Amino acid sequence: MLDGLLALLPAELAALIRALPASVLNGLEEIRVRQDRPLEIGHAGGFAYVTPAGTVTTDPAGGWRPDAGLCARLLERITNHSLYAMEEELRRGYVTVAGGHRIGLAGRTVLEGGAVRGLRDIGAFNIRIARETRGASARLLPHIADRVRRSVLSTLIVAPPQQGKTTMLRDIIRSVSYGDWPMPEARSWPARKVGVVDERSEIAACVRGVPAFDVGPRTDVLDACPKAEGMMMLLRSMSPELLAVDEIGRPEDAEAIREAAHAGVPVIATAHANDLEDARGRTTIRRLIDEGAFAAVVELRRRGADIAFRVVRPGPAAREPTRKAGGAGAC
Amino acid sequence: MLKLAGAMLVLVSGTLIGFRQAARYADRTAQIRDLLHALQRLETEIGFGHTPLPEALGRAATGAAEPVAAIFIRTAERLRADGASVRDALRAAVAEVWPRTAMREPERAALTRLGDALGISDREDQIRHLRLAAALLAAEEAGARDEQIRYGKMWRSLGFMAALLVVILML
Repeated sequence: MLDGLLALLPAELAALIRALPASVLNGLEEIRVRQDRPLEIGHAGGFAYVTPAGTVTTDPAGGWRPDAGLCARLLERITNHSLYAMEEELRRGYVTVAGGHRIGLAGRTVLEGGAVRGLRDIGAFNIRIARETRGASARLLPHIADRVRRSVLSTLIVAPPQQGKTTMLRDIIRSVSYGDWPMPEARSWPARKVGVVDERSEIAACVRGVPAFDVGPRTDVLDACPKAEGMMMLLRSMSPELLAVDEIGRPEDAEAIREAAHAGVPVIATAHANDLEDARGRTTIRRLIDEGAFAAVVELRRRGADIAFRVVRPGPAAREPTRKAGGAGAC
Repeated sequence: MLKLAGAMLVLVSGTLIGFRQAARYADRTAQIRDLLHALQRLETEIGFGHTPLPEALGRAATGAAEPVAAIFIRTAERLRADGASVRDALRAAVAEVWPRTAMREPERAALTRLGDALGISDREDQIRHLRLAAALLAAEEAGARDEQIRYGKMWRSLGFMAALLVVILML
């Protein structure tokens, strides 16, 4: 998985990452490149700088410093030499490359009529390594299963960045699409058709319309499509039995989720928030929760290599105690 | 008899050399025009198609004749193969293909300058650079056509005349 990404990096950067000790490489989560500042990596929840010899240090002074030329080459390679075709990505601030890795960008913004139109003088890159963890949702699924309809409940997954939201969502999609239900009573439940609106190309990491991650045999993916429109399109055209979307938050997203609820299609969505209380602070999400659009809200927390979760039933139902995912549910 | 044959040989080769020189002027005009058309196509691909550069270069090449098409194809190949920067890939392709063309230094300079900017800025900026390169090439094309008319004819007669002079001197 890492090889595809390293092939995309300029040779000297790729060589440095390859030279890292295997223990660091296996837990690698982020590679942060900042022009003229030490190269940083995030691994196993912590961070370190990379020395010119390919070892890790916590001393910033010992870090290898990428220069302007390297940053320019890196940008050229991750945009496939076509920055002009990446206007939408630059407006959002990240590029998704083959393999589903998301590369966040920072630089000088270009404004037009007060709105951000793009970025220029890009001098900072955050390469987030996407990992596929099969079985990550095995412990969660029984808590969000809809035993009447033999499917899953409408669920909102909330967590801060880097806590495994997308990993969890992807594995739920895969399990439902394969009919790979972990509960003993659900052996006879059928596999379900899943519609995925993958606005950031992170869930399925499509390369020319074909998912790079295993999202199951009954899954249809609308790649790089705005969520609200995409959900409506899928509802109309692909007759999904479950809709999955990443990072909702805009008012039009709520409208589409309501539409899906009317059509009787459960929706699994994720949102950036610390916990349920925090998520309620966002108008759109609070309204959706208050309207009962989500039967369950799941809060995720990274505990070392595992993902711990807490399922909350919004409304009168009592909260369930925190449960810890097993070693198999590592992220 | 032998002398006559030799004289004929000198005449024919002199004329051929003249025609070849004249053809170089005509080739230069045609190749610059080819290059201009390819850049126009590239502008469409970049400006309206949002086509990724390696693919856009390939499409620009399909409308052009050799050896201009080879410049674009080689550049695209290099971009795909070793991930070189556009700047280096285009320079290398130009260095490789240029000896086969009849074009001169100003065209080469316009093309390499374009390569310095290609692919690394937003759409409007790309179009500006492409138009600038096209304007430079259009000026060169006008000059090349002038030269073709003036020196083309001259070379065609000069070759034969020079050969005739050699024959007269030999006799």
